[in-house]
Amino acid sequence: MDAKRGMGVMLFCFLAVLLLAWPVQAATERGFDDKEIRIAAWGPQTGPAAPWGAVARGSKLMFDIVNEEGGIHGRKVKFFVRDDQYNPSQTVAAVKELTERHGIFAFVGGVGTACCQSVYQILLDNKIIWISPCSGARSFWDPHNPYLWNIWVTYEDDSSILTKFAVEKKKFKKIAMLYQNDDYGLDALDSVKYRLSKYKMELLTALPVEPTERDLSSQVAKLKASGAEAVIGYCSPTQAAIALRTSVSTGFRPQWFHSYNLSDYPLMNKITDGLWSKEGVITSGFFVPPDADHPLIKKYRAAQEKMAPTERWGIFYQAGLVVAEPLVEAMKRAGRNLSTAAVKKELDSLTDFQGVGPKITWTATNHKAPKSVQIWQAGPNGELIVLQDWTVNEISRH
Amino acid sequence: MDMKRAYYEDIELFKSGTILFWTIVLLVALFTLPLISSNYYLYLFNLIMVHVILAVGLNILVGSTGQISLGHAGFFAIGAYATVLLMTKLSIPFFPALILAAFIAAFFGFILGLPALRLEGPYLTIATLAFGLAIMHIIGHTEIFGGRSGLRAPELNIGIPQFGWNFSLTTDLSKYYLILIITIGMVLAAINILKTKVGRAFVAIRDSDIAAEVIGINLTIYKTLSFAVSAFYAGIAGGLFAFVLGFFDPVTFNMFLSIYFLVMIVVGGLGSIMGSITGAAFITYLMYALFKNIRDVPYLGEFLVNISQRWLSITGMDNLSAIALGLVMIGIMIFEPMGFFGVWIRIKKYWKTWPF
Repeated sequence: MDAKRGMGVMLFCFLAVLLLAWPVQAATERGFDDKEIRIAAWGPQTGPAAPWGAVARGSKLMFDIVNEEGGIHGRKVKFFVRDDQYNPSQTVAAVKELTERHGIFAFVGGVGTACCQSVYQILLDNKIIWISPCSGARSFWDPHNPYLWNIWVTYEDDSSILTKFAVEKKKFKKIAMLYQNDDYGLDALDSVKYRLSKYKMELLTALPVEPTERDLSSQVAKLKASGAEAVIGYCSPTQAAIALRTSVSTGFRPQWFHSYNLSDYPLMNKITDGLWSKEGVITSGFFVPPDADHPLIKKYRAAQEKMAPTERWGIFYQAGLVVAEPLVEAMKRAGRNLSTAAVKKELDSLTDFQGVGPKITWTATNHKAPKSVQIWQAGPNGELIVLQDWTVNEISRH
Repeated sequence: MDMKRAYYEDIELFKSGTILFWTIVLLVALFTLPLISSNYYLYLFNLIMVHVILAVGLNILVGSTGQISLGHAGFFAIGAYATVLLMTKLSIPFFPALILAAFIAAFFGFILGLPALRLEGPYLTIATLAFGLAIMHIIGHTEIFGGRSGLRAPELNIGIPQFGWNFSLTTDLSKYYLILIITIGMVLAAINILKTKVGRAFVAIRDSDIAAEVIGINLTIYKTLSFAVSAFYAGIAGGLFAFVLGFFDPVTFNMFLSIYFLVMIVVGGLGSIMGSITGAAFITYLMYALFKNIRDVPYLGEFLVNISQRWLSITGMDNLSAIALGLVMIGIMIFEPMGFFGVWIRIKKYWKTWPF
C-alpha cells in the first residue's frame, strides 16, 4: 500500500476533526456590551410538542418591540431562539452552545419540565438570570434559587382555587376528578382533596389517565356511573378533548373544569369541533385574557400584526410576552450601568408588577410564582367570559 | 481485498505500520483535543462517544449477526436508570454499578433474544420495537424509577466513597477522559470479539443460519448471546449517558432514539466497527449541531428566515436540520449502500491501484 497516500487521506480526516472542534471566539462573560444585550430562549419548534414553541416566538416579539422603541438605555436586544425538539439532551446542547459561543445575559421561558430540569444546574452555576420555566413544578422554587424567578402558578394553587369556585359559587356537591398520572395530575389531586376536606366533602371518584392514553371510554363510563355533577380534569389538551367527546357521545354532560394549561379556547374548540364552547367548559387563567380590552394587549396585538403577521395570537404566544415583561422592566430600572447583580436587585424588588400576566411580587428570598388565578369560561360563540377576577389561594401550603 | 496468508495476520490489531502510526496520531489528537475545545464541544464529543459505544454494540447484532433491533433505546434506558439507581439507592460505587447495570441490560437482551430464535425480519423488528416502548412505559409507571417526572444523576464519583476515597468528576472535561478511555476499551473489545470463535459464529448466522447450524453452531446460544452482548454495550452507553446529561425522564428514551441508532450504523456501514464509529459521530453531529444556529449567520441567516416566513412556515427554519438529515440518509442509501465504510473501501482501492 502506498503509505504516503494513505497518510494523506488520514491527515485530511484528522484536519476535518480538528476543524469541527475549533474553539469558537471567546464570548464575553457578562452577555452584553455597549451596543447589545444577548437574551435567549429554547423551545420545541419541530416535533410533536411544536405548538408550545410559540412561547419562544412570543418573547421574540417582546424584544422586537423593545428594539423598535430604541432598545434599553441605548442597547439593542439580540434574541436567540433554539429548537430543542422537547428533548433534554438537545436543550443541554443548545444552552451550552448559547452561553459559551455567544455569552447570554438572561434566559426567558423554557417549555417542558424535563428540558428545564436538565439545564437548571448549568444556568445556576453560571449565574445566568432565568425568568420562569413554563411549568408549575415544585423543584423550580424549592429550594430557593437566587437566579431563577417563577411566574407559573403551581398546580396546587390552581386546582385549589378551581375547586373552591366549583363548591362555593357553583354549589356542586358531587365532584369527581380525572387526572394525569404524573406530577402534574398528582399535585392537583392532592390539592383538590385538601380543599374539599375544608368543606367536609370528598371526591366521588378520581380516575388516572396515562399521558399517552387515547381511549378514555372506561374512565368516562366510570365517571358517568359515579353520578358526578362536575368533573375536575387535570390532563393534556388532547385527552381533555377526547374525554369531552366521549362523555357527550354517551350522554354524560357534567360541568367540566380544567387547568390554565387548557385555556387556549380557539385551539380547544378546534380539536373538539366546537364542543368546548357548547359545553361551556370552565378553566382557570392566569393571564390577562387574550381578547381583553387592555392597553398592553392592544399594543402587543398591533405589534404582532405588523411584525409577525403569520403568528396566531394565542395563550402560548402571550406566555412568551409574560415571561419577558419583568426582565425588560428590571433592565429598564437598572439603568445604563447594566450587570447581572443590578438586574437581580431590581427583579428582587418587583412589587405588584403586572403586564399581561399575573401580578408579580418577588423578594430576595422569595422567587415563588404568584398564588392567584382568574376563572374563565368558554362562551357559546367561542368568546371568553371572565367568571371571577383574580383570586388568591388562601389555604396555600407553600 | 486484503489477502490474509496466516491466521495470526488476521487477528493482528494493526495490519501495518501506517495504520499503527495513524492510530497513535488519532489517539494523541483525541487526548489533546479538550485543550482547545469549549465545553459545548466537549458535551458534543461526550454524546458522540456514548453513541459510538452503543452503535458498535448494535452493529454486532445487526451488522454481524443479521438480527434487527428497534428496541435499543430500551437497553440504553436500562443502563442509565440501573446505574443511577444502583448508585443512589444501594450506594454502589460508580464502576461496579455501571458494569452491573450493563449486565442487567444484557440479561434483558438475552430475554429478548429468545423470541428472536423464532422471529425474523419485520416480525423481529416489531417484537424489539414493542420491547423498547414497553420499557419506556414501565419506567414511567414505577415510582422508584422517578416515574414520568424523571431522575437526576448523582455526582459522578469514580472513587469508592465507603473507603473514604472520593474522586468526583464534575466538569465536561473530566467526563470526556473517562468516557474516552471506556470507549477505546469497548471498541477494542468489539474488534476482538469479532475475531474469536463467537464472532465468526455470529457472521455465519448472518450469512445463513441453516448452514451455520449444519456446521455445528448452536443457534440458541449464539443468537441470544448476540442480543446480550449488544445490550451490554447499550447498557454501558446508557450508564455514561446518564452522567453526560445529568437529568433524564422516560421520554428521553423514545422510539425515535432507537431509529436514530439504527440510522447511525446503516449510514456508517453494517458489520464494520469503523463504520459504527463514523456513523455515530456523523449522525450525532447532524442531530445536535448542524444548522442549529443558521439564523445567527450574518446575512445568510436573515435571508433564509425571510424566505421561510414568507413562503414556508414560521418554524420552517428549524426543520432544515431534520431535512438535511433525511437527505443525507437517502443520499447514502442511493449512492453508497455500504455507508461510510463503503466509501472508505473505495478510497482505499482507488489509491492502491493508482494510477490505473
